[in-house]
Amino acid sequence: MNIDANYLAVVFNSTIRMTTPILFVALGSALCNRVFIFNIGLEGMMLTGAFAAIVANFYTHSVLASIVAAMVASMLVAWVAGIFMVKFKGAMLVVGVSINTLMGGLTTFLMQLVFHVQGAYVSSDLVSLPKINVNFLGNSHVLKTMFGSLTWLDLFAFVAAILLYFHLFRTVTGFRMRSVGINKPAAESLGIKADRIQILTVVFSGLLSGLGGCLLSMGGVTMFAQNMTAGRGFIAMAAATLGAANPLGVVVSSAFFGFAQSMANMLQNSSISSQLTMALPYFATVVALAIFNYVKIRNKRRQLSA
Amino acid sequence: MSEQDKKEKNIILQMKHIVKYYGALAANDDINLTLHEGEILAVIGENGAGKTTLMKTLYGLEHPTSGEIVLRGEPLHLKSAAQAISHGIGMVQQHFMLFDPFTVAENIVYGREPKKGLFFDIKAANETVAALSKQYELPLNPTDRIEGMPVGLRQRVEIMKVLYQNADIIIFDEPTAVLTPQEVRELLKTMKNLAKAGKSIIIITHKLNEVMEVADRAMVMRMGKHIADVDIADTSIEELSMMMVGRKLIDKTIETIPAGEDVLKVDDLFLQGGGSVPIIDHLSMHVAKGEIVGIAGVSGNGQSELSQVLLGLRRADSGSITVCGQDIFNKKVRQVRETGVAMIPEDRYLWGSAREATISETAMMGHYRRPTLSKNGILYTKKLRNFAQNLVDEFGVKTDNIQLKTGSLSGGNAQKLIAAREIRQHTPLLIACEPTRGVDIGAMEFIHDRLIEKRSNGDAVLLISSELTEIMKLSDRIYVMYDGKINGEFTRENVNEEDLGLLMMGGKKE
Repeated sequence: MNIDANYLAVVFNSTIRMTTPILFVALGSALCNRVFIFNIGLEGMMLTGAFAAIVANFYTHSVLASIVAAMVASMLVAWVAGIFMVKFKGAMLVVGVSINTLMGGLTTFLMQLVFHVQGAYVSSDLVSLPKINVNFLGNSHVLKTMFGSLTWLDLFAFVAAILLYFHLFRTVTGFRMRSVGINKPAAESLGIKADRIQILTVVFSGLLSGLGGCLLSMGGVTMFAQNMTAGRGFIAMAAATLGAANPLGVVVSSAFFGFAQSMANMLQNSSISSQLTMALPYFATVVALAIFNYVKIRNKRRQLSA
Repeated sequence: MSEQDKKEKNIILQMKHIVKYYGALAANDDINLTLHEGEILAVIGENGAGKTTLMKTLYGLEHPTSGEIVLRGEPLHLKSAAQAISHGIGMVQQHFMLFDPFTVAENIVYGREPKKGLFFDIKAANETVAALSKQYELPLNPTDRIEGMPVGLRQRVEIMKVLYQNADIIIFDEPTAVLTPQEVRELLKTMKNLAKAGKSIIIITHKLNEVMEVADRAMVMRMGKHIADVDIADTSIEELSMMMVGRKLIDKTIETIPAGEDVLKVDDLFLQGGGSVPIIDHLSMHVAKGEIVGIAGVSGNGQSELSQVLLGLRRADSGSITVCGQDIFNKKVRQVRETGVAMIPEDRYLWGSAREATISETAMMGHYRRPTLSKNGILYTKKLRNFAQNLVDEFGVKTDNIQLKTGSLSGGNAQKLIAAREIRQHTPLLIACEPTRGVDIGAMEFIHDRLIEKRSNGDAVLLISSELTEIMKLSDRIYVMYDGKINGEFTRENVNEEDLGLLMMGGKKE
């Protein structure tokens, strides 16, 4: 394995492709954190999106319909979760875990019903997300490798992060969202419908998760596999925490996990046992969270002593 | 035109025959309230008199069973607080409703934010707030964050919020409960200024000296009924309190008795806590037999931790504590209590009782080990029940049945129950933390009498309270606690509120 510019370009490209599905979900998680909702059901919502995209794809062969289906399906699941968490004040952990378990089972069941296959469904009839044409980058092979085979949805993930940043910190609705997370009774005392803001935020996080799921099932090889999110929803939650629930911070932390994921994939070709390399992203999550919290606690101590 | 006629013309608000039932209980029973433009009206009454219900009705949070509200001659039907706000009725909440990480300006414009296109125009918000702050002489820096602000300033932000909403009628709900004497003075001045600027003000309170100082008129309520409307110029504290309580409170002078030997001695107590600034910083004090010693201070200066360390709920780092000559430093709670300490804890639910336990169980806590009440771990339930019933009767805890859950008691009654239990431990030392928090004047008087009685029997009482009037009324000696240190000491003879307040804020006695 010789490390040259081309190799690094491949790593870079793979990191982006690993990052964006996580980024979508992490942005949703960050928004939930901002309104004080601990949305553990993102994993299930992402899975829903991935599945719904392939189902729509199977029936319509339309990219647009697939994306819309992913968004709508995940939003519906998120809406149910939001109603249970906010309106009926269900324990967020329980609601989230239920959503994950339910959607894990339901997608597996429906996969057999719709596609008559077990484990995974792949077909040459399915259409993929259109790739961005990189010819405008000229003749540089390295540049083309870096940005090749990316979809418009990959690009949109970063655009979404920037838009959400402005929404959260520069607009009145963003201001009110943040306020609900800080002091819900105070927001309500000033006539803000805090419950509605919380539910809508969960629904919106569902939309983002759906996009993340769609990117997962249609970004590279277009397919659906049983439980194909494989913990990405949880990694995204970690990314949201690491990024301090700031959309731009979340881009950085998601990229970190995307990099870990892409390294895991690259190392599969090496002599290291694949069980170990596949554990890398999850291991990175644990380590990153531990370091993050350590630094946070230390800073707090310093602040107190200042 | 006489003064009377002139006033009639300027009526801004009338509440007519307001009745509000909660089930069978009449919280408001035919209440009439009149508010004139630019006046300060005090609504006074004991806990449960119905003041808060009446104000919630005015602020749109409660809907009256019958009766009507007339604002500037027009009948008004309020369905929500937002509606009240839009009609120019504002409320300065007792429990601040602020967003700590946000700036002053962000908090004030909340809900009516200035916009610039799609974006929140924070610059306009800052300018508006600065202008308001100047107009009403309420100094505030719009870009400061709420985090770390003293209570007085936070309240100022709350007032500004109401002013920003363009309220003409401002309701203050127990506004001075959490303030230091200096802050109280500032606030009273602010209220007068606002009234002068044409705002009509309603203040809910039971602190009569403040009423006398600031209000033009007072409306007295008792047990849901309207008792009287009086002009402050024609009344006195004594008259007001008699109307509030329904009987004459005897203003007893507490005779001083010579202090005996020390019961509690604390020497060089030190507790670091989590931060770099110690919570209790080399504190020494003593409480003698026949003495009530008060600890005054703005809450959060180590009083809570001190009480916890004294009872053994929390370990200190160094120092010594003795009770009746016995070392209790960092001993277990049970050992400390057996040495002769009882405590009325500041948080009646966290430390003082179990909500899910019955009233009789709460009453027997700490008593059940006595040989007359249990033997070999078996409880004498009947005796215990009688014991509990006696406490409940003696201290006037209002309940139908002592087998009900403690959580079914109102806050004031739960407080009475806990005070009864701890006072009746008959220990040489009683630590009373906020012993009358949330109880009404009658019950407060009763608990105060029991504390004085305990002292006069030759026991020692350590009184930790944020109510200065309570501290000044009961204490033979007063320590002021600031930043974990004793920042001055007074005796009953040489104390005055001015000096006390100064030391509480960290000043030094000249």
